[in-house]
Amino acid sequence: MELLSNLALGFSVATSLENLMFCLIGALLGTLIGVLPGIGATATIAMLLPITFQLEPVSSLIMLAGIYYGAQYGGSTTAILLNLPGESSSAVTALDGYQMARKGRAGVALAVAALGSFFAGSVSTLLVAIFAPPLTAIALKFGSAEYFSLMVLGLVMSIVLAHGSIVKAMAMVVLGLLLGCVGTDIYTGAPRFTMGITNYADGLNFVALAVGVFGIAEILRNLEDEGGEREVMTKNVTNLMPTRKDFRDMVGPVLRGTGLGSLLGILPGGGAILASFASYTVEKKLSKHPEEFGKGAIAGVAGPESANNAGAQTSFIPLLTLGIPANPVMALMIGAMIIQGIVPGPNVVSEQPDLFWGIIASMWIGNLMLVVLNLPLIGLWVRLLTVPYYILFPIIMAMCSIGVYSVNSNVYDLYAVAFFGFLGYVMYKLRFEPAPLLLGFVLGPLLEENLRRAMILSRGDPTTFVTRPISLTLLLMSLAVLIVVFLPAIRKSRDEVFVESEG
Amino acid sequence: MYSFTRRVALGMALAVGVAGAALAEFPDRQVTLVIPFAAGGSTDVVGRIVADKMGENLGQQIIVQNVGGAGGSLGAGQVAQADPDGYTILMGTVATHALNPLILKQKPYDPVEDFAPISLLVLVPNVLAVNPELPVNTVQELIDLAKSDPSLAYASSGNGTPLHLSGALFNSMAGTEITHIPYKGSGPALTDVLGNQVPVIFDNLPSASGHIQSGQLRALGVTTAERAPSFPDVPAIAETLPGYETYTWNALFAPAGTPPEVVARLNEAAVAAMQDPAVIERMAEFSAQIVGSTPEELAEHVSAEMAKWEPVVTEANVSLD
Repeated sequence: MELLSNLALGFSVATSLENLMFCLIGALLGTLIGVLPGIGATATIAMLLPITFQLEPVSSLIMLAGIYYGAQYGGSTTAILLNLPGESSSAVTALDGYQMARKGRAGVALAVAALGSFFAGSVSTLLVAIFAPPLTAIALKFGSAEYFSLMVLGLVMSIVLAHGSIVKAMAMVVLGLLLGCVGTDIYTGAPRFTMGITNYADGLNFVALAVGVFGIAEILRNLEDEGGEREVMTKNVTNLMPTRKDFRDMVGPVLRGTGLGSLLGILPGGGAILASFASYTVEKKLSKHPEEFGKGAIAGVAGPESANNAGAQTSFIPLLTLGIPANPVMALMIGAMIIQGIVPGPNVVSEQPDLFWGIIASMWIGNLMLVVLNLPLIGLWVRLLTVPYYILFPIIMAMCSIGVYSVNSNVYDLYAVAFFGFLGYVMYKLRFEPAPLLLGFVLGPLLEENLRRAMILSRGDPTTFVTRPISLTLLLMSLAVLIVVFLPAIRKSRDEVFVESEG
Repeated sequence: MYSFTRRVALGMALAVGVAGAALAEFPDRQVTLVIPFAAGGSTDVVGRIVADKMGENLGQQIIVQNVGGAGGSLGAGQVAQADPDGYTILMGTVATHALNPLILKQKPYDPVEDFAPISLLVLVPNVLAVNPELPVNTVQELIDLAKSDPSLAYASSGNGTPLHLSGALFNSMAGTEITHIPYKGSGPALTDVLGNQVPVIFDNLPSASGHIQSGQLRALGVTTAERAPSFPDVPAIAETLPGYETYTWNALFAPAGTPPEVVARLNEAAVAAMQDPAVIERMAEFSAQIVGSTPEELAEHVSAEMAKWEPVVTEANVSLD
């Protein structure tokens, strides 16, 4: 009953006219920046931070949170329409979402993404409200050894389920791991592969890499055969809304994606990144038609989209209950709280219940606003594809450049976009897939950081990975996945998780 | 033409002794404050609070630009090379103006030659804290435990950061060998200490204060010479290890060659901002101690800090390429 009264308090705060307005502004802004390729939530929140000085703490946090999950919604729009993921989570959506768009089902893909995200957002918001403290306890049990084993599991899943050529997929994962090594070694301070350029001291920028290998490469590809393929996308638009069959196909993936995303989202430091990849892998394994994945499978959009939105909501748990940021956006939110004179930490729940519950209630309201806003907009977004490409692509290029630059105000990130755009094009020509590269790039540094930290903490004793129960379980799961794959009979059904387009 | 007339005006002003004419000129457009760290950190928060007030005092908006990377060196290097006109200034810290120059083999800038000091704004204490499950309540007990248990480790926000070196100084003064575990920033380091993956942490007092108040962290001592006013019950480490003193500080710098009257105008605005009641209140919540020094005092402070940290850096054997 306490929960009900808490929620009632939350809704009374969140439904004040002022806070509803800020929630709407946040959700709108978030959708907008999510739709503009390259401009991420981090940069936007950083730019808006000073404005929040003048607002009430609750209002400012409601608005910033709205930008964050709004961007998750918006980000999938460009991933589906233009093959341009702005965040690691929407990279997976691009795989099947873009293929759906090419088949004229862009509207359906967008609707599935929006509905899946709404469902996941509602469920995980409720989870945050009920289970925040116990879930925090689980998150704290994850030490370096556990993270290492989790990353191993993630990499194993990515390799064994990759597209036809396992060797090529592994090569891409390894290339990603190597690219992830660029930057200062956090243990010794030695710069690695920076070519003496101080601007790469903190490593390559994920957004630059993703925009390059997906977005710019896609533009180069489209320019090559301009006029041919793209027309298909708009001429064959059959229906904007999902059919009854589509709904049936998305129920399972949405439910599983929500579960996976909610769980992985609470892990600070990389958990949420795995959510959409993991969901895609699971859906493909469970599917009766795994061959459809990578060619526009509806489950390949519904699952990961639900997972990433659920993860986005539950990543608020460590922030609200511990004052610990799970990702750079959460770090900014902490900054916003400190500026407002709120000390982030476990006391926020008890000392500022209106703030805590107000934010939670606003998250649900915000999700509702997003789905109401976005469903009617789908027709508009799809019409965007009718814009002639010679007008569209310079705009995309300009937006990407502005977006990437805005992350760190670092020109070298733009050089990286150009380089990876070219690399992505070459990879496409040689039929290498960019998704494993991206996963390797994201997981590699986490894998190394945690491996070395666990080894230092255990004073060089590698048994630390098998004597800790959670770590052992994760490693056994990795082993199980490997065994399953290398059994020849099952190997035949090994499918294409990371299929890029064949065209 | 513009710079010519300005130079003439300046010369005349100096000759006649009417500095007011030159002062009135600056600032005639917005000023950019470069913060050499990502948004949301403690330097960023201090910077934004001060920038807001300083802008009011200058009658021009101060735009905050976060240029993070390479432990602050990127942003500081950028300001060192900016036009010395007072329109680009830096929020410097102990990292950019003492530690990095000592640690980096390849020096992107000279902390003394390349900058015109404006004002030392605040001192921010660091704190030595442990997970409450670690059976120690005082600094002395921690030293005893460290001597009997060589596997003890402490977390910090990264290699070569003030917090790492606070630990290194502690080890060297206490004769202990607590292992250093670097993280990518204070957040993940805190997480692992709260989860008792690592038992000990050196952290900025502002970032740890919420956890100390709630009892999730046990503060053993603050790193300043005196106790922090916001935590009067937490002793100073110096009470156990006499002479131990470290803190993080924030100070404004302009590029070297900025005209003295422009520096004076910026100093005046900064010092006035630090005396504003709202700023004082915010800084107190933040456990930051207000200074608001003159440019000369800041110059002395930088040399004193470099002299203090050099032996620690050498002894801890930290060097980055």
